[in-house]
Order: sequence, then structure tokens, then C-alpha cells
Amino acid sequence: MLTGPLLRTAGVTKNYPGVVAVEDLTLEVPRGVVGLVGANGAGKTTLFRMMLGLSRPNQGTLEICGIDVAADPVGARGRIGYMPEHDCLPLDQSAADIVASFGELSGLRPRAARQRASDMLDLVGLDEARFRPVGGFSTGMRQRTKLAQALVADPELVLLDEPTAGLDPSGRDEMLTLVARLGTFDISVLLATHLLDDVQRVCDHVVMLDGGHLVIAGSTESLLEGSGRLAVDVGTDRAPLLALLAQRALVAIESAGLVEVQIEGDADVDAVRDAVAELGLPLHRMSTRLTSLDDVFLAEARPT
Amino acid sequence: MTGAIYDRGYRPYDGAVGGRFSAQSALFRLSVRRALGWRRSWRQKVAPLALLAVVTVPAIVNVGIVYLSGGASDTSIEIITYRDYVGISSALLLFVALTAPDIMCPDRRQRVLPLIFARPLTGADYVIAKVLAMTALVFGFSFIPQMVLFLGQMLVSADGALRYARDNAEVLWQVPVAITALAVFYSVIALAISSLTGRRIIAGSCIGGLFLITSAVSGIIAANSATVLSREVPPEQLFGGGVDRVPLAGEPGSNENPFEERFIVYDPTPAPLINLAGLPLTVRDLVFLGQIDEDTPMSGLDNGGLFTIVVYLAIVSGSFTMLFLRYRQVDP
Repeated sequence: MLTGPLLRTAGVTKNYPGVVAVEDLTLEVPRGVVGLVGANGAGKTTLFRMMLGLSRPNQGTLEICGIDVAADPVGARGRIGYMPEHDCLPLDQSAADIVASFGELSGLRPRAARQRASDMLDLVGLDEARFRPVGGFSTGMRQRTKLAQALVADPELVLLDEPTAGLDPSGRDEMLTLVARLGTFDISVLLATHLLDDVQRVCDHVVMLDGGHLVIAGSTESLLEGSGRLAVDVGTDRAPLLALLAQRALVAIESAGLVEVQIEGDADVDAVRDAVAELGLPLHRMSTRLTSLDDVFLAEARPT
Repeated sequence: MTGAIYDRGYRPYDGAVGGRFSAQSALFRLSVRRALGWRRSWRQKVAPLALLAVVTVPAIVNVGIVYLSGGASDTSIEIITYRDYVGISSALLLFVALTAPDIMCPDRRQRVLPLIFARPLTGADYVIAKVLAMTALVFGFSFIPQMVLFLGQMLVSADGALRYARDNAEVLWQVPVAITALAVFYSVIALAISSLTGRRIIAGSCIGGLFLITSAVSGIIAANSATVLSREVPPEQLFGGGVDRVPLAGEPGSNENPFEERFIVYDPTPAPLINLAGLPLTVRDLVFLGQIDEDTPMSGLDNGGLFTIVVYLAIVSGSFTMLFLRYRQVDP
């Protein structure tokens, strides 16, 4: 079992002409299946490029699996498998040839590379189609081929850039199942996506970026736990309740005939219940709404 | 009988894993394989094999004629010399113009570069592997016909194989050295051009066009320094410059004797150095003759040999620099 953080950055900044892609990013990410979340342009792909040593930060340091990328980019790349977002496969070659070729490029001997290619294509469910040219593959099959080439050299970490992009619901489901399985094989995954549902489903840790800045990072469980919204139906007399909750430092708004209260735990639920009782209001309904990562992202990225 | 589906899961790899050199070797192998059409459709194999067959024909014909003539004197029947065979041919240039884009452009066009550079190699490793692959291909393309010629001549020689080999021993180093110089030169230029675009057709056209244009410009400049003399003026009286003996073709309406020779005498000029297709041939002459060939416009030029080597090295270095700059982003 490998130990130590998967990724450690300290004050990483990357500028392109006229654009700050990543600014003063300091974080430490544990091993496991980690989601890197952000809208387009948040800095996810730039961070990947810097992790691969394909792009150098203007400031700061970056370590992958304990290797300083600036000092030893080749060594860092030797530990990483990379699945880009865009099409990147030679369309005139078979999946088996492509995956085996990338195995050889990763340092495997030709025979071992072919064996590993066969195993990885089995793993991603392309055993039947391995000898067909990739040009005739569906988007889902190409995504699987890209995943297989990322895994062929048995990396410690795989970087998956939008692996579910362009997939239909069942293809997406299968890809996420595969990603979740990787974690059980002792392979760490950094999954870059803007689809928070994907992250919520398979990742045990989340890093959120917005405009090149770190929004929040933590375990998925901790981000979802202890926060949420409580919907309270007290009929039409909502104003006194809103005023009392504000006095008690609870954030509450009126929405669709209900009072919605931002809660941080069970104590807040009790406080809302007590406030309703204190005002003598009829309590028709009180229910919590599960927090999603969307809520966390929206709350943290664009605080009101 | 019941079937069963086995989920073999994931098996970690515990075998040997190489580093940069291993990745570089793999890239070399894969590039050569691609260029020769291995593991690709039969259409991809046709061009290299057909061109190789074309360039081998003169060797086979030469050997065949010697054989049919009873293997008489190995020097009296010589359709093509080893020096001439290390030379410009349309098939060789076509091979270069087809192969260099094929091993360079798809990586860019199909956006495979990010995947390649996510492996343990650098931009310089990539360039070196590609140049070595291309050089090996051009070397093989030029060397195989020479081998056919040498081995064939040796086997059919009336004086015996060993005698033939002994008499022609010098070509055993001259040919590889000259072909290496030619292969490196054509390869780096063709790859440098191919690195500028992702489209093979554009790269191939540019390579062919560059060879043609520089050849034409060089020819025009050399022609301006040429003087056509009648037979009555012995070229030996002239100082410096090359002499081409051109038999008159008995042009229609001409009163000239078709069997008479005329001489084109060149003032010494460095114009042939502009000719990118022809420059390696001047280097070849330096290898085989130890000097500039007397029949070229450069003959008689002061320090012509040195000048040729300097220009050769400058062009090779310039092309390498261009390639390294093109792929510098991934260097540490």
C-alpha cells in the first residue's frame, strides 16, 4: 500500500499571455479517487499539464507521489497514466496495437506490452474489439481505449480528463463504474470534470477550482455532511420566523411558500424547531434537502 | 454444460520497466514499423516496397548483364558505379517525401503528442528517435540496392568472389559513409519540414518542392556561369571550373555533326550548394574521390570541399535546431 500524498502543491501559479490559468494554488491531496472539479477554464487541464511536466509553473512547486515535478519530470511521468479529454488515438490502428505501443513507450518490453494491452482491454471491456481499427469505434469504445492506454504501464496515478464527455447515460455509467473500480486496485485517480454528479458518485475526495483558484478541498463525505437546507412550511405567516432565525444567526430565505434555512448540523435543526414553537406557528412540514456538490460549489465559489 | 464469466480484475505489473532510453527505442521501432506499413493495411506497404524495388533494378540489371556476359572483367561492364548509385534518384526523393511526413505528421494531426509526452521521454528524445528512424529508413533504402550490386557482382565475377571483394574493398567503407551522410541530410530536412504541419500531403509537397526549387535555382545560377565551347577549343586550356561533355543529339535542322561533342565549361561557382537534393552528392564525391568532382560547376573552387562540409553541417544543425525548438515544451 502506497503512502504519502498523491499531489502536493505550494503557491503554484501559471500565467499565459493575458490569462492567469492557476493562481497561488496550495493544496495536498491524499491517495484514492479524487475529483478535480471546476467549470471550463477553471485550470483543471493546466494543472494536469503541470503535473505531467508538460508545462512549467511560473511560481511554486508541485509534487506527484513524492516526486518534485520540476526536478524530475520524466520520473513523475513514469508514475502517471494520462487520459486526455480530446481525441488522441491513431484511427488507422487497432486498439491492441495502440495500447501495446503506448506500453512500449512507457518502458515495457514489446512482449510484456502486448500482454498488458490485452489485459487492459479485457479490463475496460474491449476484449472482442481489440483487433478492429479505432476509427470504427464508438465514442464510448474510444474512451475505453484511452483509459486502457493510461493503465497499460501500471501507474500509481491516472489522470482522467473528462472521461465521461460525449458518452450516453449507459456509457457514462459504465465508465464511472470502471473509474470507481480503479480505486480498489490501489491505483489513485485524479478525475477532472465539470460534472459534479460524477464526482459525487465515485470520488472519495474533492478539489474544487474556480478561475484558477482553489475553492475548497476535502473528503466528499465531509463536504456533504453537516450542511444542507431545511425546508420549513409554517403556512403564510413566515415573516416572524425569518426575523427570529436571523436574530439567531441562521441564514434563512423565503422560497416557493417555504422558509429555507441553511443548516450546518443537527443543532441547527433543533434551533429552527424551537423557533417555530416559540412563535406558536403551525408546523405543517419540516424536511431536509440533501446537499449536493453543486450546492457546495455554488456556495463556496460564489458566496452571496 | 454451463458457461462462466470470469472477472480477471486487475493484475499489477511487476516486470522490468525501462526509462528514457527504452521509450526512445520504442519510438524508433514504432516509427520504422509505421513507415514500412507493418501492422497496417496492404496499401501502406505498397509504396515503400515498390520504390525499393525500383531503386534495386539498376543493380539487378548490372549483375544480370555481367552474368550473361560470362562474368567477364568486372570493370569492363559497369552500367552503374557504386559512387553513382549513392545518388539522387526520383525514387529516393519520393521515398523521403512520403516517409518523413508519415512518421511525423499523424502524431500532430491526430493529437497523439500529448499521449506520447505523457510517457517518460522528453522532446529531445522524441526528435532523436524520429531522426534515427528516418535516417535508418533512408539508409536501408539506399544501402540494400548497393548490397545487391556488390554481392551480385561478387558472385558473378569471373575473377572469383574473393578477388572481386579485395579489388573493391574501399567501397565497403565509402558506400556506408556516403549513404549515412546522405541519409542524415535528407532525413533532418524532411522531418523539420514535416514538423511544421499536421497534414502529410502538405509536408510531402513542401519537401518535394524544396528539393525541386533549390535544384532549379542552383541550375540557373550555374548555367549563367557556363560557357558552351566547340570541340576546337580544348577545355584543358581553361582554368578551373567543371567540364560537361554533351554529345549533340542531331537536332532537326541542325547542320552540326551529331557525333561531335560540345563542351560546357563552368566558371567555378558554389551554386550547387544551394541544391538541397544535390548537396549530399557533393559530400559523396568527397568520400569517394577525396575532392570535388571535376565535372561539376564547383570544381576549381578554392576550399570547395571545406565549404561543402560547412554548408552541409550548417543545414543539418539548422534542421535539428528547428526540430528541437518545435518540441521544446516538454523538455525539463
